[in-house]
Amino acid sequence: MNGSAPAVEVRGLSKHYGSVVALREVDLTIGAGEYFVLLGPSGGGKTTLLRTIGGFHKPTSGQVLLHGVDVSNQPPDKRPTGMVFQSYALFPHMTVAQNVGYGLSLAKLPAGQIREKTEAMLAMVGLAGYGERKPHELSGGQQQRVQLARALVLDRDILLLDEPLAALDAQLRKDMCLELKHLQEKVGITFIHVTHNQEEAMTVADRIALIADGDLVEQGSARDVYEAPQQRFTASFVGENNLLDGTVAAIDGEWAEVSTPGGTVPVHRRGRTVSTGDRVAVSIRSELTRLEPADAALDPTMAALDGAYRETVYLGLVSAHRAALADDSEFMSRVVASHDQPSLPDPGTPVRIAWAREAARLHLG
Amino acid sequence: MVDEFGNLWVHRLKWAYLLLIVFSLMSPVFYVMYISFNENGFGAAEYVLTLESYSLIFSDKLMMTALQWTLSLAFCTTVVVVPMSILAAKFYKATRYKVLTVFLLLSPLFVAADIFGAALLVYFKNLNLMFTSVAEATGLSFLSGWFELGFITAWIGLIIYTIPYAFIVVLITMGRYRHEQTEAARACGASGWRAFWDIEFPQIRPGVFSACAFCVILCFNEYTRTSLLKGGFDTFTTVLVSQMLNEGMSNESYAMSSFVSFTAIAVIGSIILYTLIRSESLGQVARAKAEPNMAG
Amino acid sequence: MSSAEKQAPGRSNAAAGEPEGVLVPRLQSAAFVLPVTFMVVFFALPVALTAVWSVFERTMFWMEPGFTLFAYENFFTSARLINFLASMYHSFISVVICLILGFPIAVFVRRRIPQVAQHRVVLLFILPFMVSEIIRIFALRPILQRNGLVNETLMNLGLISEPITAILYTPTGVVIGEVLSFLPFVVFSGFLAMEAVPKYIFEVCDDLGAGPYRTFKDVILPLAAPGIFAGSVFIFVNGIGVALLPNTLGGPGAVNAGLIATQAITALDFPLAMAVSAIMMGTLMLLLYIGHRLFNLTHILDPIS
Repeated sequence: MNGSAPAVEVRGLSKHYGSVVALREVDLTIGAGEYFVLLGPSGGGKTTLLRTIGGFHKPTSGQVLLHGVDVSNQPPDKRPTGMVFQSYALFPHMTVAQNVGYGLSLAKLPAGQIREKTEAMLAMVGLAGYGERKPHELSGGQQQRVQLARALVLDRDILLLDEPLAALDAQLRKDMCLELKHLQEKVGITFIHVTHNQEEAMTVADRIALIADGDLVEQGSARDVYEAPQQRFTASFVGENNLLDGTVAAIDGEWAEVSTPGGTVPVHRRGRTVSTGDRVAVSIRSELTRLEPADAALDPTMAALDGAYRETVYLGLVSAHRAALADDSEFMSRVVASHDQPSLPDPGTPVRIAWAREAARLHLG
Repeated sequence: MVDEFGNLWVHRLKWAYLLLIVFSLMSPVFYVMYISFNENGFGAAEYVLTLESYSLIFSDKLMMTALQWTLSLAFCTTVVVVPMSILAAKFYKATRYKVLTVFLLLSPLFVAADIFGAALLVYFKNLNLMFTSVAEATGLSFLSGWFELGFITAWIGLIIYTIPYAFIVVLITMGRYRHEQTEAARACGASGWRAFWDIEFPQIRPGVFSACAFCVILCFNEYTRTSLLKGGFDTFTTVLVSQMLNEGMSNESYAMSSFVSFTAIAVIGSIILYTLIRSESLGQVARAKAEPNMAG
Repeated sequence: MSSAEKQAPGRSNAAAGEPEGVLVPRLQSAAFVLPVTFMVVFFALPVALTAVWSVFERTMFWMEPGFTLFAYENFFTSARLINFLASMYHSFISVVICLILGFPIAVFVRRRIPQVAQHRVVLLFILPFMVSEIIRIFALRPILQRNGLVNETLMNLGLISEPITAILYTPTGVVIGEVLSFLPFVVFSGFLAMEAVPKYIFEVCDDLGAGPYRTFKDVILPLAAPGIFAGSVFIFVNGIGVALLPNTLGGPGAVNAGLIATQAITALDFPLAMAVSAIMMGTLMLLLYIGHRLFNLTHILDPIS
């Protein structure tokens, strides 16, 4: 085994089901000890990718290397991976302890050692003393902990988690997210976690890969993906962004003028080459914009579009203000609710939507 | 029960109808049992309780040989059919040609006994001729006699007859099994076979046992296909039928009939009891699931 | 990484694992194909070949390859055809009676009995099915005959003064036998068919104020049609194919396809037996085709897939 090789390396991986393409030429490298999240809409191929890494699907073409060894043609039981499933994956006819110890008994460890390891692992996931219960006597969250223990007790160095928290209710999901993160830091092995929930992804991830329609769209740290997405899809999926599609009208050094149906907006090129007439998209995070009276003076460091006020939805932490642009498309501005103006304009009142010029991000069509 | 506003008496009436139908279906059997204990047999004015007719069966040499043949046929068929149904059910789950698979495995239900028996009889006669001539032409003498009418041909006929039933029972039981468990076992390091044996099989065991019981009983009761394909030997049902056709319903044939009926009812009755106990415990599981322990 | 190596020795050397990784799945998939192959060789093939053998030339004790429609001529231009059509008619009556008696039971079990108990109730109908058909059919003789159970009971009750003799050894006797033999199958297939009718639909119907008749006609029937049809075809083809029924309960004129085939085999007229089988298979295929066009029979598989 090659010590310096990355934990997981996926090369040109494609998976077809008849004429349906589930994965298209995916390349991915995940370092040892990383908490890596595959994020994307359901049906986008992220679970297929995870299951191919785990050996539950055979790739149509391409390779999966674990620690530098090509395992593309190996079944799951021959791979150094453990797996946590969405739900229903505990063995209902066995006790919790038998579930956790199953892999160890397959490896023919002596009974005493199995008991010892099982108890230690159950304690680690916070289920000490639950060993004699049957899975159906546990809550959803406890069942997922048992799955975690069952996978971790094997001392494998890659753990695959397929939507492990999807079946839990919102509050429990938040708590378990943090616990997963801490557990990963404690055991120090590679976690690959599939989810469609961006909050879950941001909570746990060292790095995130976005997967949609069988393509790996973009990858990066949670902060990069949120703050500086490269692709239009990323901007539409992560965070709450306003998306403006248009064409490049003019280029002025590092800055480009993009003409959109709602008006022309300036955007920094961020080193990318565009020429006049290119179809591009601009995204602006809704929390970086604000609504102003249409006649207020415009700060030169700001960019703005004119619109008409529509409505405000109070969401507790923030208020979402909605306005219509010139082409009647909607633009959203989110403001921490306690910073709200005391009085809101009447619907239809002309307003200006403004943001710092650097907040706009360019996406190539 | 579901409809809380419904008329309770209408509900009871429907139940009574259901039980009446079951009773009517069983009445010939009960009547045969009733007659079998009468020393004077069918139609006698007087009813004298006796077990003599039963002792007649067990002292009948022909009958005992036939019983042995029947039992060995039933055993051999079950041993083949149940694993085959499990394989077929797994194949069905994995294949893309689901409709074709099910059609192939269930269509024996739709081909009446005599029609299929006749077709298979002619098929085996042809195969036998073919194998024998190949054996003569090539000198591979071991090839001759494979498909001469006898135990093997009757066995194949019974396998085809029972496989649809076993397949349905196994498939329905497997329908409740969650495939994620097999994957979890594989992820724990189990081979495909270990995952099946340790995880899936314990959960489909009731279905497998029911399939075994069905298989044995169906083989025991089968007449038409066996009588066409058996060749020289006699089975329980062929003896029974030839007796009934030749001598009419004798005391002994009543006793034989009720004897097998008692056995079949006992086997199925115990399965019903077993599922009753099992579904009771499943009910407890369901109730426990309904009030989950929400402590994180 | 050392821990992973300890865990499963040999996991790392992919090359050494190669033969196992390729050969074992191949053997395994061969095993999974075995039942289907068996069914093709010993079921589909013999049944399909009946059409070929039916045009062979009849010899004294066997047959020889050739092409003649003599067997079909023999079937279609004799009393056999009348008998065959009559048995179809009686079989059809049995189907109707079975549906009327049995399908309401399936609906009742699905609708009114708690989920956990449903299978147990259906198992009750397996009980008669598990007693040999031979015994049940032969036992109808002492029940229906002149001094049998039915006549005795009716006479003791004073309802009739003369024993009824028009039941046994008539088509009525055959129909009674068919209903008693095949009624459980209507309950089974109806029960499976009702799986296609979700339980909430009854609540919706109650909510909309649809009466039992409208609920049945507009909701249950269209959804359960494929299963009902499959059950009906089963009874129909077995009614015309099981020789034992007319042989035991019918009179001289009661001859169905199964009986024609067995009689032909006893008379060593194998082409005729094969022609009858081929005609039966043709009838079955035709019925299934019509049913498939009308109801899309693949829906029957929905509950088990």
